[in-house]
Amino acid sequence: MSISSCKNRKFYTAFIFLISLWASGSHLRAQTETAIPKEYQIKAVFLFNFAQFVSWPKKSFASPEEPFCIGILGDDPFGAFLDETVQGEKVESHPLVIERYRTIEDIKKCQILFISKSEKNQTDKIFAYLKDRNVLTVGDTDGFLEDGGIITFSTKENKIHLKINPKAAKRVNLSISSKVLRLAEIVEPGKE
Amino acid sequence: MTFRISGLDIMDNTLTKPSPLPVNKSFIRSALLALFFIAQLMLVTGFSLAQTQDTTPSPRGLKKLSLEELMNLDVTSVAKQPEPYAEAPAAIQVVSSDEIHRSGASSIPEALRLANNLDVAQASSGTWDISARGFNAGLSNKLLVLMDGRTIYTPLYAGMIWNVQDYLMADIDRIEVVSGPGGTLWGANAVNGVINITSKSAQDTQGLYFEGGGGSWLEDFTGARYGGVLDSNIYYRVYGKYFDRGSEVYANGNSANDAWRMGQGGFRIDDEADTKNKITLQGDLYGSSLNIPAGSSQTYNGGNIVGRWSHPISPDSDMSLELYYDWTYWFDPVAASAFGPAGNLIDNLDTYNADFQHHFHIDGSNSIIWGLGYRFTHDVLQNTPVIAFLPATLDHSLYSGFAQDEISLASDWFFTIGSKLEHDDYTGYEVEPSVRLKWDAAPKEMFWAAVSRAVREPSRIDRDVVAPNNATPILAGSSAFVSETLIAYELGYRGEIVPKISTSISTFFNNYDSLRSLTPGSTVVIANNLAGQTWGGELTADYQMQDGWLIHVGYDLLNENIWVKPGASDISNGLEDTSDPANQVFLRSSVDLPGNFDLSPAFRWVDTRSVVSGTTVGMVPSYLELDIRVGWHLDKNVEISVVGQNLLQDHHLEYGFPSATAEQISRSVYGKAVLQL
Repeated sequence: MSISSCKNRKFYTAFIFLISLWASGSHLRAQTETAIPKEYQIKAVFLFNFAQFVSWPKKSFASPEEPFCIGILGDDPFGAFLDETVQGEKVESHPLVIERYRTIEDIKKCQILFISKSEKNQTDKIFAYLKDRNVLTVGDTDGFLEDGGIITFSTKENKIHLKINPKAAKRVNLSISSKVLRLAEIVEPGKE
Repeated sequence: MTFRISGLDIMDNTLTKPSPLPVNKSFIRSALLALFFIAQLMLVTGFSLAQTQDTTPSPRGLKKLSLEELMNLDVTSVAKQPEPYAEAPAAIQVVSSDEIHRSGASSIPEALRLANNLDVAQASSGTWDISARGFNAGLSNKLLVLMDGRTIYTPLYAGMIWNVQDYLMADIDRIEVVSGPGGTLWGANAVNGVINITSKSAQDTQGLYFEGGGGSWLEDFTGARYGGVLDSNIYYRVYGKYFDRGSEVYANGNSANDAWRMGQGGFRIDDEADTKNKITLQGDLYGSSLNIPAGSSQTYNGGNIVGRWSHPISPDSDMSLELYYDWTYWFDPVAASAFGPAGNLIDNLDTYNADFQHHFHIDGSNSIIWGLGYRFTHDVLQNTPVIAFLPATLDHSLYSGFAQDEISLASDWFFTIGSKLEHDDYTGYEVEPSVRLKWDAAPKEMFWAAVSRAVREPSRIDRDVVAPNNATPILAGSSAFVSETLIAYELGYRGEIVPKISTSISTFFNNYDSLRSLTPGSTVVIANNLAGQTWGGELTADYQMQDGWLIHVGYDLLNENIWVKPGASDISNGLEDTSDPANQVFLRSSVDLPGNFDLSPAFRWVDTRSVVSGTTVGMVPSYLELDIRVGWHLDKNVEISVVGQNLLQDHHLEYGFPSATAEQISRSVYGKAVLQL
């Protein structure tokens, strides 16, 4: 329209150009920092959610005050993040606690057991040991469900997906909310 | 007639000739500039170097997400953290995408009813009056509203044109609503509240989404989005939507002939390839036409392009730069009246904005955030004989800078001090400081207190309006008009008083000065001769009854006292700026039912509202209304829902001076199908 408005536009174009140059400069000065795996932070929060969306038989707790335990078998990929996630939280009346087990023999009474990648070579032994216990087994190794696990995390296109074997859950008297099942891929390994 | 500054309703009343749509020449030029702007941003991206991991999300933030949202998070990018807000010492309420979805809200104003610290009133089919902590009066002007960082209130009257603020509702990530001043961080106009609408990243909207449906008021609508990958870790989405909304009715049930329609399309690209340098580029373009009862129609067009660079330096420090260009075009046929012949008011506004922010820590106990901003608006009006803004063309600059330090005094005590300094062409320098104190009484309990100053800078209507446009106007703005100011005192609590019940209580005492007044005379002149005090509070409680059943209760209390300053006068004795309900009550429930059904009823009760026109007071009666949504997930990909809105009465008045020509809001129902692949 008017000459003055053309002038203004030129001025602001130049201004934006200068800003971008300056930004790219500061960009080059970027420093690198140490890596923090976010994958396991999200998985930690999933574990916390499983405690809310899966129901355990009443008899799996001796008293209403008995803690609800999430156990980790093998190398711990979650660090303090998992502890912070459950800090002060309860499942109904049971305070949530985290326990870490080095070996199968260390496993005490827990409701959820995350089986770390480090235990890949002894899954048969683990599932034999857990047989008939009301434990929700969670893992993220290939073939975890085929080995006998109940829930496994898989990563597709940078996002975490869930695969669940509801039959394996039923076998140990756990019922998984349809809210979780709806979002998961249902896997029922051929041989029972 | 009694002249009302509110609502610019002088313009919409009587017959006018329909006129052809004017061609907007400056659009092409604007588009070219926008392209150049994109090129600049690409240049910045080109420098990407370091490839490193990113910052830590907090357990608290992640736990707030639903399972769906967790599954949508990218395991290699920074999680969106509601946490800073959940822990912010302010009266903030966050509406999540899940809440929007379950409510059946089909527009942003409807979604804002979910934030209980707002007064949301629908005045006609296409107009809403929305405010926080009072002053909801036609041209309510004390809110700062942002969409993905774009400031979207109009500088014409510092108010909102709500009907054209839109996204695909499914693409909205969250809406944060702060009641109370946010001037220190946000700046001009953040006097009574800040509404911050954030869309999902392109990464979180991958795949095909289609929605369609129709009903009684929302006659028909359709929307589609496709999200894909441009290159490894560079995501995009494109979307388009269209709707037709019908007319509302008068008290006698006759149609008000104010049906409207709108189409919008846009895109968003998120470059997450370099976790140290995230680039977002997004833009929207829309067109809308709104019938006015007299028979012709208003046109609203607009578009924007936004570039954002964010640079996480470490888990607790980051830098960001946002540049945007925004264009709005408003065509409004102004009727002939006793004050002059008909004419077409056209407002063509270009906004250029740059904001830089830097956040860092010093020795673990000081969390510092500072920033610089610049906004330039180029506003061109085509005036009419009945109403005009002089000068017709106005270039306006706003410079701002702010700094804030959060100091941890002890492990559970935090003291925040900061200020914004602004310079605008109208009033020169403005200072907006605040101090806040926060006490984390327990892991899930927090008390906070704040004292802040905020200003509402003059808008064009305060300074430039002349009506009618001749030597002896009835109403005139004044170059002596200065900023309205507020000193606010706030006290709040947030936490779980009882397990499973999260509660938030915010209280305030606001002290206003230099509020807008209208000095009577042969020419009514806009001045700053009012002052006032308001006090009240907002209370919410969320109760997780059991898995899949949430109950929400909200209550707002507001008391207002506005007076004319000694020795001055105002045509409505200070009553015109406030037409607010003293009490509002909200009750919502959301429950998952067997068979993949879910049900969400929402009640709202709004107290009487006194609306003043000149010296006449009219009462909008209190009302109780109910919205219900029933959703049914056929499977993972298909969802069908039915939404009933305002179900309790055939039609009811929500806003406006009660009269035979005041519009009422009808009961309405619509159905919707969603396909997601």
